[in-house]
Amino acid sequence: MIIEISHFLSVLATGLFLLVGYFSILTPSSNSSYISNLIVRTYSHGFFFLLSSFFIYVWLAITDNFSVQYIANHSNTELPIFYKISSIWSAHEGSMFLWIVFLSLWGFLFNIRVKNSEVLKPKTMGVISFILVGFLIFLLATSNPFVTILPIPPLNGADINPVLQDPALAIHPPTLYLGYVGFVIPFASAIAFLLYGDSKINWEALVKTWSVSAWVFLTVGITLGSWWAYYELGWGGYWFWDPVENVALMPWLAATAFIHSLGVSIKSSQLRIWTILLSILVFSLSLFGAFIVRSGIIDSVHAFANDPDRGLYLLGFIGLIVFTSVFLFILRLSRIQSLSRIKKFSKQSFISINNILFGALIFSVMLGVTYPLIYEFLFDQKISVGAPFYNAIFIPIVVLAAIFLFFSVDSKWSRSINFKFISAPISFSILFSLAFTLFVMQYFESQNISILASIFAGSLIIFRYIYEIINFIFSKKFINPFSVIAHMSLGLLLISISFNSLLSTERALSIDLNSTEAYKDLKISFKDIGVENNANYDSIKATFLVEDQTGRTFNLKPEKRRYFTRGQITTETAIHITFLRDIYITIGDQLDDGSWIVNIQINYLIRWIWLSALLMGLAGVILVFSNRVKT
Amino acid sequence: MNLLLKLIVFIVPTTFLLLFFMILTNEDTYPGADYDQFLIPEFELKVLDNTITVNNDLLNGDYVLNVWASWCITCIIEHPYLTSLSKNGIPVIGLNYKDEQEDAIIWLKKYGNPYQTILHDYKGNLALDLGVTGAPETFLISDGKVIAHYQGEVNDQIWNDVFLPIIKDRKMF
Repeated sequence: MIIEISHFLSVLATGLFLLVGYFSILTPSSNSSYISNLIVRTYSHGFFFLLSSFFIYVWLAITDNFSVQYIANHSNTELPIFYKISSIWSAHEGSMFLWIVFLSLWGFLFNIRVKNSEVLKPKTMGVISFILVGFLIFLLATSNPFVTILPIPPLNGADINPVLQDPALAIHPPTLYLGYVGFVIPFASAIAFLLYGDSKINWEALVKTWSVSAWVFLTVGITLGSWWAYYELGWGGYWFWDPVENVALMPWLAATAFIHSLGVSIKSSQLRIWTILLSILVFSLSLFGAFIVRSGIIDSVHAFANDPDRGLYLLGFIGLIVFTSVFLFILRLSRIQSLSRIKKFSKQSFISINNILFGALIFSVMLGVTYPLIYEFLFDQKISVGAPFYNAIFIPIVVLAAIFLFFSVDSKWSRSINFKFISAPISFSILFSLAFTLFVMQYFESQNISILASIFAGSLIIFRYIYEIINFIFSKKFINPFSVIAHMSLGLLLISISFNSLLSTERALSIDLNSTEAYKDLKISFKDIGVENNANYDSIKATFLVEDQTGRTFNLKPEKRRYFTRGQITTETAIHITFLRDIYITIGDQLDDGSWIVNIQINYLIRWIWLSALLMGLAGVILVFSNRVKT
Repeated sequence: MNLLLKLIVFIVPTTFLLLFFMILTNEDTYPGADYDQFLIPEFELKVLDNTITVNNDLLNGDYVLNVWASWCITCIIEHPYLTSLSKNGIPVIGLNYKDEQEDAIIWLKKYGNPYQTILHDYKGNLALDLGVTGAPETFLISDGKVIAHYQGEVNDQIWNDVFLPIIKDRKMF
C-alpha cells in the first residue's frame, strides 16, 4: 500500500518536471519574472515529491517490506540497517532510482542557490527537467523498482550479494553518481547559453563552482571504487582497465580538461568552443557510462541484467540529447567564436595543448572500450583489449602532458613570455629530477624506459612546485593553493604508480600449519586456522605471524566466507599497511597433504596512489570553498 | 575550418550511436536467452599430454565441460565435487585455460584427475568463443551445443539448481 504512494509521487514528479521543461523552453515568454518564478517553484515541488518518494522507499527497505519485489530480491531481515539501505543501490532498478534522485538534487541546489535574475536560470532548469523526465520514464517504463509481489509477499528476502556488503561499496556508487550527474549543471547551462545565443553572457562563470564540485565527487568516487576492488574483490591492484573503470575514467578526463578550459573562458572568453564541446562531452560520457553498464553489452563485475529494451531506450535518449546539443552548437558556432588569437606560451596556449592531449586520451579509451564490441560484431570473434594497449598510449601522452605542465608554471594569462631554458626554477627542477631518476635507475637496477620517464616527469612537477612554495615563503610570490596541490598530487600519482609497478611482487605458497616460509624479506609463520560461525555466514579464519627484516612482527588473518542465503564463497584479504608498502595475504584451499595455499603480494606505494587522488579532490574542495567566500 | 569542425562534431557521435544501435539490435548480443542455438564454435586443440589433436567431434554427445587452471584457487575448492560427479558416471571434459602444460600436469598429479579428456587451451581462444571470463566455469553440452553455462564454483547446490533440472528435462546422461 505505502509503496503505491511512493510510486505515485514519482509519477507526479515526472509530470511536474515535464511542466517545468515546457514552460522554460517551449514557451516564448520564459524570461518574464512571472514564468521564471513559476519554473523555480514547480521544480522545487517536483524535487520534493521525488525525494519523498525515495525516502518512503528507503523506509520500506529498512522495515523489510518484502511485498516490494526489488526489496525482496535484494535485502534480507538479517542485514544490518546500513546494508538494508545500501541494498537499494545494489542492483539496476534501485541504483537508477538513486541516480535520478541525485540528478534532481543538483538541479534543486542550483535552483535555490542561483538568483532568479540570472538570465540563463530558467532555461537551465528546463534542460535539467527534460533530462529528468527522460530518465524517469526510463525508470518507470523499463526498470520499475515499485513492482509488488501480492497477495502473498515472501517472509524473507534474498539478501544482497556478499561482496556488496561492505562500507566502501555502500558509499562508492553514491559518490560516483553524484559526480556523474553533477555535470548536468554545466551541460544544461551550456545548452541554455546556446539556446539564448547571446555571446555576451558569461555562462562559464556561473557553472565554475558546480563543475569543480562534481569533479571532486567523481575523483573521490573513482578512488573509492579502486580501493574497494583492491581489498574486497581481492583484485590486488589499483586499476584494471575494466570496461566500467574506463567508462568512469572517460568523464573524469573530459571533466578535468573541461575545468581547465573553463578557467580560460571565464578569464578571456577564449577557448569557448572547446569549453562548450567539453561540457557536452563530459555529460554525454557520463550518460554513456550508464548506457554501457545498464544495457548489458559488456561483461563486467558491474554489468547489470541483460535487457536489450533498456539499452535501446537509453541509446535513443542519449542520441536525442547529443544531437540536440550538436545541432544547437552548429547553429550558434559563428556567434561564440572568439576573434582574439591565443598568444604563444601564454597560459591559454598551454591549456589548449592540454585539451588536445586529454582529447587523445579520451578517444583512445573509447576505442579500447568499443573495439572488442566492433570486432565481435564484424568478425564474430571475441577479443579483449587490456593493459598493454592502454599503457602504450597513456604513458607517453601523460608524460608529455606533465612536461607541458612543467613549462606552463612560468606562463602568464594572455601574455607570451620569453622562455629561458636555463632559468633558476627550470634548471633547479630538471637537475633534482634527473638526479632522482638516476638514483632510482642505479639503486633498483631498472632499465624500464616507461617507468623512468614517468618518475622523471612526476618529479619535474613536484620539484617545480616546491620551488614555487619556497619562493612563496621567502619572497611572498603569489601561488594558487589549489593549483599547487592538484598538480603536485599529479606528480605524486605518477611517481607512486611508477614505483608500484617497479617494486610490487606476488607469489602463491603452500604452507603447513605451524611451519614458517620465507618470501623476500618476510618470514611467514602459519599459526592457526579455525572455523567461526557468524549471523549470515561461516568463515574459515587463518592466522599468520609475519616478521619483516627489522624484526617487527604482526598478525595477518585472512578469511574465507560462505554466505548462507546464496551459498556464495568470498575471500577476505588480510592487509598489513605500512608507510611504504602493503603486505596482502589471501588464503586458498587446503591441499591433500594438509598444507594450505596462500597468496602473498607486496604492494609498494599503493596507498600513495589513492592519497594523491584524494589530494586532487582536496584541491577541488579548496577551490570550491575559496570561491564561495569570494561571492 | 568551421565546416570541418561542424562535420567532426556531427560525424563522431553519429558513428558511435549507429554502431551501438547495430550492436544492440544484433541477435547475437544476447545469446543467454537462446542457449539451444548456441553451437560450439569450430576449434582444433591438443589434449593436455600433447598426444593428439581433437576438434568439435569430441563434443558430440552429452558432457559436462569444466574450465580450470592450475593458477585458479577456486578450482581446488571445486575439485572434490567434480571428482564425485565423475565417479557417479557423468562424463566431465576439462578445458585447461591459459595454463602452462607442466603446471597443469603437476596439479593433476597432486589432486587427481576427474576428467575424461582435457583440452589444452593455452591461448584461451576456445574459451573466449565460449564466453569464458575466468576459471572455474562449467558448461553443459549436448551434441555440440552449449545448453547451460555457470560462472564460478560448482557445488551440490549449484548442480541441483542450475544443471539438474535441464538434465532431467532432456533425459541426459
